[in-house]
Parts: sequence; structure tokens; C-alpha cells
Amino acid sequence: MEKYEKLEKVGEGTYGKVYKAKDKVTGQIVALKKTRLEMDEEGVPPTALREVSLLQMLSQSLYVVRLLSVEHVDANSTNSNLDDSDPSKRNQTNNKSNLYLVFEYLDTDLKKFIDSHRKGANPRPLPPSLIQSFLFQLCKGVAHCHSHGVLHRDLKPQNLLLDQDKGILKIADLGLGRAFTVPLKSYTHEIVTLWYRAPEVLLGSSHYSTGVDMWSVGCIFAEMSRRQALFPGDSEFQQLLHIFRLLGTPTEEQWPGVTALRDWHVYPKWEPQNLVRVVPSLGPQGVDLLSKMLKYDPAERISAKAAMDHPYFDSLDKSQF
Amino acid sequence: MDFSLENPLANSHEFHFDSIPSDLFLMESDHMPSKLLREIIDFDESFRREAVSSVLRVSCNFDPSLSYLAVNYLDRFLSSHGIPQPKPWLFRLLAVACVSLAAKMKEAEFCISDIQGDGGFVFDAKTIQKMEVLILGALNWRMRSVTPFSFISFFISLFKPEDPPLKQALKARASEIIFKAQNDINLLEFKPSLMAASALLYASQELFPMQFLCFRKAISNCSYVNKENLLQCYDAMQEVAMDGYRSEFDMVSSSDTAVNVLDQHFSSSESEKTSGTIVTRSTDSSTKIWAEKDIKRRKISVF
Repeated sequence: MEKYEKLEKVGEGTYGKVYKAKDKVTGQIVALKKTRLEMDEEGVPPTALREVSLLQMLSQSLYVVRLLSVEHVDANSTNSNLDDSDPSKRNQTNNKSNLYLVFEYLDTDLKKFIDSHRKGANPRPLPPSLIQSFLFQLCKGVAHCHSHGVLHRDLKPQNLLLDQDKGILKIADLGLGRAFTVPLKSYTHEIVTLWYRAPEVLLGSSHYSTGVDMWSVGCIFAEMSRRQALFPGDSEFQQLLHIFRLLGTPTEEQWPGVTALRDWHVYPKWEPQNLVRVVPSLGPQGVDLLSKMLKYDPAERISAKAAMDHPYFDSLDKSQF
Repeated sequence: MDFSLENPLANSHEFHFDSIPSDLFLMESDHMPSKLLREIIDFDESFRREAVSSVLRVSCNFDPSLSYLAVNYLDRFLSSHGIPQPKPWLFRLLAVACVSLAAKMKEAEFCISDIQGDGGFVFDAKTIQKMEVLILGALNWRMRSVTPFSFISFFISLFKPEDPPLKQALKARASEIIFKAQNDINLLEFKPSLMAASALLYASQELFPMQFLCFRKAISNCSYVNKENLLQCYDAMQEVAMDGYRSEFDMVSSSDTAVNVLDQHFSSSESEKTSGTIVTRSTDSSTKIWAEKDIKRRKISVF
């Protein structure tokens, strides 16, 4: 890790700290993501091995943030002196080590980008062609992950990094869901955002699939057009009510099995609203695509690959991607 | 979640390529030994052979594809590090760590003590762990190796007619050749896709000669395949497919008379861990060598 000079802490993801750093030799700016790796008698944990190598492969896509290298740091090599007095403690630290995932650094993300269009000196809508281009790239990246059997599970504007000069959007924070122990609370005790969470997850479904990511894509699509979140809930219950108020309270006809889900309760019966009211500037094709991303029944929700062929993208020059 | 050589990108067996696996062609070079390995071998030929046989001994109770993966890790590790002072225990440790990593990737049931075996060296968990980490670093955690097996389904899809049993036979024979080819240092320099294409072409010429020309044309027309390199790889592969012991002949003697070849062939197969059945089989294949030598002369200008 001596290769890198840490410049500043840029965030605390669910799985650990993220630093902006500089490669001392090349001067390249990178993002360092620090993760704990628990070693046991059998050495490097198989889950970590499989998931980091998967990440390594997935990041070959232009629409996924590139993993430049993986650096392993034995934690006890730096701590051993401190713990010499307490053998039991030393034993504990023996198996701890850190893994630094070195990613390409992009200086902005979709959340900051949307914020800059909502507030500040010059509030203005995002150009429709830019929304179209970002959504296409997002679908392309998600399709890439899904075709390799990987769910993102936490797509949100903060996780979509932008190269503003080139107009490129890249998916970040991918795939570490199972390799690393998920903390009960996030690292900083920050509230993990629920805004992009699919209703089946909120209702405690034990089986969920690619549809959870497509729901998030829908929420992000609407947010680019509105410049504010579509469903800004602050608890799981509130989150569901936000969704139900717009899309109507789901019924067994619409979504077979919904009332049997673990966290289903009796809710007020709202009627579905017209989506155009919340995304007036999107146009009929955009609204149609959005409605397909926000289908209640995950099986009916449009796939990333099918979304890329939706007429909403007809006016987009796809050859550039 | 487990890793399959045939489908290194996919996280699950449900997913298959429906088009040219361009990702694979673009990244295959990251997964093959570098030129440095060739230089090390030119300097000391026994070096890689010892390391590989150490891996094969450690992994002999596993599926051959696991051994294949472990040797791929080994080659790539040697390419980036070399070993300054080859020592038997170091080969052994390297072998144990490569096999352990491959077993974890393939979700094979195992524990470290199983693969320590009776090699005369027993390493503690910490030492193996350190070696694992060293290998991971050298490979930059690219453990989902792109190997010739990754390209088999794609190239087979170019084979006509569309006949599953035929394709199955082709695939089985090509896989056999690819396994064999891993031991041959003359093939180390070729990209995995070229190895797959060459092995399939060889198998097709052997099993379905009528379809060969058409198949060769389809493969050569693929934009990711460099025709000249394919030709070279095919030639090298031909040698391997015809007799797996060739590299050992070269080592012992450069003489090419048929009598010598047969003698060498016997001595080399006997020096391996042989049982009665294998000796019988080598007798069969040695009589075949006569015919194959003959074919070889005719086959050289097949492109």
C-alpha cells in the first residue's frame, strides 16, 4: 500500500471506508476501498476469493467502475508490537487482514449531478437527451451484471459515478454483498437509504432476483427527470406507503402471492395515480418504460436487456455505446 | 457460485453466451503465462516440469479441471515471479497453495490437511495462507481464469451440422487434447482461444474429416482469430495430439528415427507411475505412432 498516498476520505460505504488516493509513481488518482478480510485455518476465505475475482471480471465493462488492482495488507504486521503484552489479543489479530480494492476514480456521481441541477446558482432540468443516455448506460451496465448472475442490490444515484467530460455513467459498489459480512447497521450508523428498495424486499420476500435492480433503475430514471426522489421514505413502513400512494395498494390479482409475504400487513387501499403527474417532462415513451420498471410483480418487471430495446431509446444513437 | 472453466464469466450455470464472447477474447491475454516463463524454461527446462508435476501430485484426487486451473495459476505465478532458488519444498508449497486456491474457486470439498498429502513436507496454515496471498497478488486476484475451455462452446457453435452427439464427441476429444497440451511447453505462448480452436480443428479432422474444411473456414473467418497464429498453434497442437510424450523425447534425444522414438516412448511411460493397464495402452499407442508419423507428413500442409 506504500504505492498510494491517501489524499482524503471520500466516503464510508456499507462495507468500509473509501479514500481518494494518488499512485505515487504514476500520479494516477484512484479510489481505495478498504475491506476487512477474516482469515481462518483454511486461509483466504473462498467467498472473498470468488467475489473479488468476479468483480475483477465484471469491471471489464465500460459501464462498471474499473477495478485496477487488489492489495492485501496483513493487519498484524502493523499491530504486532502493540499487542505483544497480551497473547490472547495477539491471537485475535493474527487472522485479521485488510483488502484494499483499488478502483479508478471519478469525481462526481449522479446524486451530486442531480443536486447541482436542483439547487445552486443555476437550477435547471437535466437535458432529456442526457437522461436518455445515462439511463441507457445504466441498463447496459445492469444487463452486464445480470448476464453474469450478479445482482447489485443497492443501486442508487450515489453509486452511479460520472465521467462528465465523456458523458459516461459507471456502476460502482458492486457485488460485495455476499463475500463480506454485512453489518447490521451501516459502518457510520447512517441510515441506509430505502428510497430505491423494491417492494418485495421491503415486504420481506426471501427470494428475489434481477427485478430488485430494475425497480431501483426505475426510481433513478424518475429522479433524473424530477430532480428529486420518487419515493423518499424514512422507514420501511413509510417507504411502502410512498409506493402504494403512487402506484396503488397492490392486490393479489396484480401481484400473486403478495399478501403471503412475511411483512405484509393490511394497508389502506389506495388507487393507482397517473404516472405522468410525477414525471410530466418525460414524454409518453419514457412514462411507458418507467411503468414497466415499476411493475409490482417482479416477474412482470422489464429486464435490463429488454429495456435497452424499448422505443424510448429509438432516438438515441446506440452505436456510440 | 462455483467457478467453471467453460464459463468463467458467469456466476451461475444458467447463463450462456448468445453471441461472440467478445469479453473473453479481450481479456484472455491477462490469463496466460507471459514470455518470462518461456525465458525461465529456456534457461532451465526441468523447472516448470517439476513445478507442474508437484501440482498434479497434490491434486490427483480432484477433478482434472481443478488440476488444470491450479497449473494455470502456477504458470501465471511463475511468469510474474519466477523462483530464484528452486527448492523441492518451495515447489511443494507453491503446489499446495495453487491447488487450495483452485479448490476454493471450484467449491470443492476439501481441507488443507487433505492436500498436504505425503510429500514429505507439511506446512502450517499460516505459511500456506501467506503463499496464497502471494499468488493472489501476482495474479491480481484474477482467479476466474480464461482458459481454452472457455472458448469451446463458442467455436463448437460454428460447427455444422447441428448435431448434438457429434458436437459432444468433438468437444470430448478436444478437451482431452487441451488437457494434454497443458504439459507441453511449446504451447504456452499461444492464446487460450487459439488453443481451443486448434484442438477442435484437430478433433474434427480426426473424427469428422468431411466437415473439417468448412469448420476451419468458419473459425478462420472469426474476427478475433489471427489466422497466422492459428496455423502455428495448430501445427504445435498436432504434435501434442499425436503423441503426448513428445516434449520428453526432445529432452532426451533429438534423434528422430522411428526406432529411437519407440524406445524413448517406452522408457518415458515406464518411468511414470505405471500400472499394467497403462503399459498395455502405451503399447497400443506406440504401434499407432507408426501410422501417425506417416499421417503427420501428410498433414503438415493442411492449411
